[in-house]
Amino acid sequence: MSDYFYTDWAAMTAADWVGTVLTVVIFVVLSLIYFHVFRPRNKERLESYKHIPFDNDGDFGEHHGGN
Amino acid sequence: MDTTSDQIAERKYNFDVVRWFTIMAVVYLVLGAAIGVYIASELAWPALNFDNPYISFGRLRPLHTNTVIFAFGGCTLMATAFYTVQRTCGTPLWSEKLARFTFWGWNAVIVLAAITLPLGFTQSKEYAELEWPIDILIAVVWIAFTLNFIMTIAIRKTKHIYVSNWFFLGMMVMIIYLHVVNSLAIPVGLFKSYSLFSGVQDAMIQWWWGHNAVGFYLTAGFLGIMYYFVPKQANRPVYSYRLSVIHFWALMFGYVWLGAHHLHYTALPDWTGSLGAAVSLAMIIPSWGGAVNGMMTLSGAWDKLRTDYVLRFLIIALAFYAMSTFEGPVMALKTVNALSHYTDWTIGHVHSGALGWVAGISIGAIYHLMTRLWHTKMWSEKLINVHFWLATIGTVLYIISMWVAGIMQGLMWRAYDSFGTLAYTFIESVAAMHPYYAMRAIGGTLFFLGAVVMLFNVLMTVLQSHLGGHLRQARAGTLAPASA
Repeated sequence: MSDYFYTDWAAMTAADWVGTVLTVVIFVVLSLIYFHVFRPRNKERLESYKHIPFDNDGDFGEHHGGN
Repeated sequence: MDTTSDQIAERKYNFDVVRWFTIMAVVYLVLGAAIGVYIASELAWPALNFDNPYISFGRLRPLHTNTVIFAFGGCTLMATAFYTVQRTCGTPLWSEKLARFTFWGWNAVIVLAAITLPLGFTQSKEYAELEWPIDILIAVVWIAFTLNFIMTIAIRKTKHIYVSNWFFLGMMVMIIYLHVVNSLAIPVGLFKSYSLFSGVQDAMIQWWWGHNAVGFYLTAGFLGIMYYFVPKQANRPVYSYRLSVIHFWALMFGYVWLGAHHLHYTALPDWTGSLGAAVSLAMIIPSWGGAVNGMMTLSGAWDKLRTDYVLRFLIIALAFYAMSTFEGPVMALKTVNALSHYTDWTIGHVHSGALGWVAGISIGAIYHLMTRLWHTKMWSEKLINVHFWLATIGTVLYIISMWVAGIMQGLMWRAYDSFGTLAYTFIESVAAMHPYYAMRAIGGTLFFLGAVVMLFNVLMTVLQSHLGGHLRQARAGTLAPASA
């Protein structure tokens, strides 16, 4: 198993590093998005946006703080 | 059903280009399906090639894919994106001129494709066959479409950007990136060029584009349609807005990895294919989350499916979306792929997504748009029901025949006798396909007939609106809601 996960860090090219960094960054960002979306205090605000398609044209913002 | 709100919207927003794209989408659906039925028939009955190179399978097949994906799908996306962004942002399009340019430019691309592909001008890259001058035109028109969409969002009257617009915008940005990189080529003449990439890099770039055309164009874009039109048609807000946010970001971050699963057992490094397969499996989670979110929007109102034929199209499309986004990851597994790759199972999988999901959600959205844009009832509700059953039965016949054909092909190609030699010659596997190819042609014909019924119903609805002066009255604000 350790052979399978062995990495020759010295052989990493610039493209390898760009890919690795991007992968880690995306993983962290996606984790933060999950945390933000499922945090109970954000529920009411996020769910209020579901009514946007039903706002009468001209009175946007009544449900969700628009202008 | 047209409402007072729709008449206010008629005077407030710019729906002319939306109307043009809507009509052309239906026209291209009929043409694309007709070409598809013809080439399916050529495979079942090769005499239909008539030894004429211009109508041979090799030339008409890319014309079919370009017509259904970029002509029908593109016009649907442009109609619905321009409509949704105005109605959810509370503002008219940023530039009417740019919208008109988008319409004429996109249709010019389609006409050029219809001329050059039968003549044999092709880059030989799947779903990106068009030669370099047309590729440049596509990029210019798509950027104009994107710019107009972004600027309309920028001048919105709402604080929040509704999730449909996120999906549309994600598609637009990614398609610019994918199309430009995949189309990088060195021209050696007006209609001949060579890809900048070669060997396995060319294959990887091709499928990075190819699968992301599925992921961002045929999935994200049409999910933008789903998140607006399913709630509107059901007259209920989407089941969970939070789930839609997760759906969006997981799709955006996840889909770009998948292309490598098209290149198992090739010169592509093994780990790349494994990574593509692993992320493909992970994508079941957001895909099913989105499908369930759409279907659960009907929670407590399932009875609407008995009477609302448009809603039937939208919900059956979600069922096909769930099915094909489960089937795809399974086919991406190396052990399954060893059997399924290069067989007609792939064609069946593609069409469960294309006919069931993409066409289904598009058709539902277009029927919804018809009554709002022309301010009249559909000419015939019964014909929508006829269309629904023709499309559904046609799709099911198509995909079942291809599943059986594909699995049979895979098993015949890997069968050995006791001496270790192949049990069947390739031509025997071709001959064994005939009944399934015939069944596929019949399924496709049913789907095509449904599209013809839709075009007739749509044109009669436009005529009904014109004769009744409904659109003119809606623009003037004199149309009584009861008459609409």
